[in-house]
Amino acid sequence: MNMTPSDPATRAREEELTKRIAALEAKLSAIESTRAAPLKDWKTVLERGGLVMAWGLLILILGAFRPEQMFAWNSYATMLGSNAMIVVLTLALMIPLVAGDFDLSVAATMGLSSMLIGVLNVKMGLDIGPAVLLAVASGAVIGAANAFFTLYFGIHSLIVTLGSGYFVAGLILWASNSNTIAGISMDLVNVVILTRFLGVPLAFYYAAALTGVIWYVFQYTSMGRRLLFVGLGREVAKLSGVDVFRLRAGAFIASGIVAAIAGVLYTGMRGAADPSSALAFLLPAFAAAFLGSTTIYPGRFNAPGAIIAVYFLSTGIMGLNFLGVDSFVQNLFYGGGLILAVSVSQLIRGRKPMD
Amino acid sequence: MKTVLLSGAAVLALSLPAIADVAAAKAIVDQYSQLPSFETPGEPFDARSCMADKKMFVIPLTSANPFNEAISQGFRDAAEMVGFEIRTWETQLDPAGWIQGINTAVAEGYDLIDLQGGVPPEFLVPQITEARNAGLKVTATHNYDATTQNAPEYLDGAANTDYVTVGRIIGAWTVMQTEGKVNAIIIGSDEVTPTAPLKDAIIDTIAEMGDGATTQYFNVPVADWATKIQTTVQSALLADPSINYVIPIYDSMSQFAAPAIQIAGSSAKIVSFNGTPFVLDMMRDGDVVEMNVGESLGWVGMAGADANMRLLCDQEPVGTLNTPAYVFTDANVETAGNPANFNDGYGDVHIEAFRQLWQLD
Repeated sequence: MNMTPSDPATRAREEELTKRIAALEAKLSAIESTRAAPLKDWKTVLERGGLVMAWGLLILILGAFRPEQMFAWNSYATMLGSNAMIVVLTLALMIPLVAGDFDLSVAATMGLSSMLIGVLNVKMGLDIGPAVLLAVASGAVIGAANAFFTLYFGIHSLIVTLGSGYFVAGLILWASNSNTIAGISMDLVNVVILTRFLGVPLAFYYAAALTGVIWYVFQYTSMGRRLLFVGLGREVAKLSGVDVFRLRAGAFIASGIVAAIAGVLYTGMRGAADPSSALAFLLPAFAAAFLGSTTIYPGRFNAPGAIIAVYFLSTGIMGLNFLGVDSFVQNLFYGGGLILAVSVSQLIRGRKPMD
Repeated sequence: MKTVLLSGAAVLALSLPAIADVAAAKAIVDQYSQLPSFETPGEPFDARSCMADKKMFVIPLTSANPFNEAISQGFRDAAEMVGFEIRTWETQLDPAGWIQGINTAVAEGYDLIDLQGGVPPEFLVPQITEARNAGLKVTATHNYDATTQNAPEYLDGAANTDYVTVGRIIGAWTVMQTEGKVNAIIIGSDEVTPTAPLKDAIIDTIAEMGDGATTQYFNVPVADWATKIQTTVQSALLADPSINYVIPIYDSMSQFAAPAIQIAGSSAKIVSFNGTPFVLDMMRDGDVVEMNVGESLGWVGMAGADANMRLLCDQEPVGTLNTPAYVFTDANVETAGNPANFNDGYGDVHIEAFRQLWQLD
C-alpha cells in the first residue's frame, strides 16, 4: 500500500490521488457539518434526534395504559438482552449497505453459525470456545464468497447474496439433518444471557460494544471514511484513487463475520440451534437498518441509528404485548411504524430523495 | 350487550367456590405414564395377498422435518413387512410440491395417495378431485382431531389423532403439580388444523379440575414463531410473575419460550406435546422443560398404513390412529435415548401386534 514511489511521475500521481481523497473528505465533512450543524437549529435537532424523541413518546403513551410494566426497569433490562442479536444482525446488514451493497445472506449466515456451534459442540463434542471461533470463521468465508462473485464477476450484490443465502440455508439443513440441536454448553448461555450487569444480560453489552466499534471505524478511521466515499459515489471514489474493490470486499467479509457473531448470541440465548428460525430475522433487520438511517446521522446508514431503531421497534412490540393486543397488531406496528417514521423524517429533510 | 351478559356470567361462574380435583388429574397422568398398550383398530385381514398388486404414494408436509420423516419411515416399515410398493414424495413445505406429487401419483398409476402429517387437504381440492376421478383413493394421516373434527367429504378417509386426550393430559399435569392453582399461558398457532381442539382441551381441563386457575391464550402463526414467541412469553411473564406454567402446544415452540422464561427470571415450567427429540434433550439436560406428551411416530406411520390398507382391501374404515399418548418426565426421559429420538421409549409392542393383525405369520 505505502510503497515508496520510484520516479517523479508516480510520485506526482500519488500526490494527485492524495489531493483527490482530501477533496472527498472535505466534501463528506461539508455534508456532515450541515447535518451535525448547530444543535440550536430546531430542525437539525428534530432531524437527528427525532427517533429518540419518538421512542420517549412511545414509552409515555404505552406507559399511560400500563404504567406498572412500562415504567419498570426490569421490562427494559429483559428487552435489551433479548433483542441483542437483532442489533448485531442489523449491524451486519448495515456495513455493506454503507458501501451501497445489499447482503441478503446475513440471516442465513447467522443460522449457519448457530448450527455449526450446535453440531460441533453437541454432536462432535468440540469445546465451546473453538466451536464459536469456527462459527465466526464460517461468516468470513461466506462474506468472502459473496465478495468474490459480486466483485470479480460484476454481478449485483442482491442477486449474489440471494443465491448465497439460499445455498447456506441448504447447508444448514444438510449439516443438521433438519433437526434442532439442544444441549449446547451452558458456558455459552451463561456469558450471553444468564450473567447480568445492572440487571441486563451481557448480550446487550456485546451488541452495544460492537455498535461503538463500528461507529468509531466509520467516524474516525480512514478505512471507514473511504467506505463512506464508496457509498456516496462508487465511480467518483474509484477515480479518486480509493481501492473500491478491496473496500467492498472487506465490507462483505465484515458483514459475514458480524452476522456470524449474531448467530453466536442467538445460540447462547437459547442453548439450542435450529435449521430455519434465523431466516425470520432478515426483514426485521432490514427494517431497523433503514429506520436507523433516518436518525443520528440522517441520510446514511449508521451504527448508533441502527441500535436505536431496533430498540424503538422492540419497545413498541413489548408495549403492545403488555396491552394484550392480537399478534397481527405487531405486524401493523412494525410495518406502519417503519413507513411513518421514515416519512416524517423525509418531511423534516425537505423531501430530498433518498438514495 | 351480549358481551356484557357473557362476562357477567363468567364473573358469576368464577365467584362460585371451586374445588380442585387433583385426584382426577393424577389419575389421568398415571394412566398415560404407563407404557403404551396395543388396542386393535379392527379385524385381522390378509394384507399380503390383498396388497400384492397395489401401490401407495405418501406426500409428507415437508421432507425437511424429522417429525414427518419419522412417520414416513413407519409407512415404509409397514410396506416392507407386508411387501407392497410405496413411494415417499420429497417436498419442502410448498403447495407446488404437493400438487406435483399428486400429479405424479396419478400419472404413475398408484392406488392411494396419503397426505401425511399436516398437508392441508383444503388447499388441494382440485387435484384431489382429479385423482379420485382417475380412480385413486386419497386419505390424510395425522391431520385432524379424532373427536371434534370430521374429515371433509372430498377425502376417502382419514386416520386421525386424539388431540383432546393429549390436551387433557397436559391440563391435568399442571393441576396435579400445583394442587389446582394453575396460572398458565398457552401458545398455539390458529392456522394449524389441530390447534383449536388441543388448546380447548387444555383450557377446559384446567378450568374443570383447577381451583381458581387462570389461563391466557396467545396465537402466534408458525411463520412468526422465531420473532414473536419469545417477546410474547417474556411480556406475559413480566406482566404477571406468578405465572407457573408456559404451555407451547407444539413442543418445537419450546426453544423460543425457554429463553423468555430464563431472561424474565421466572420459575415457570414448560409442558408440551409432540415428543420432539431436542425437547426431550432439553428436559434431560435442564430444569425448564418439565413434561412432554409424546407418541411413537413409527407407530403412527404403521397405523396410517394399516388404515390405508383397510381402505384398499374393503375392510371396515379406521378413523382414529391407535397410537397412544405417553408422558415423558425426568423419571423416564432416558428411555427415549441420548440424544433422544422419535421412536424410543414407547416400547415396540405395536410391531408384533401389526404382524398378527395383517396375518403375516
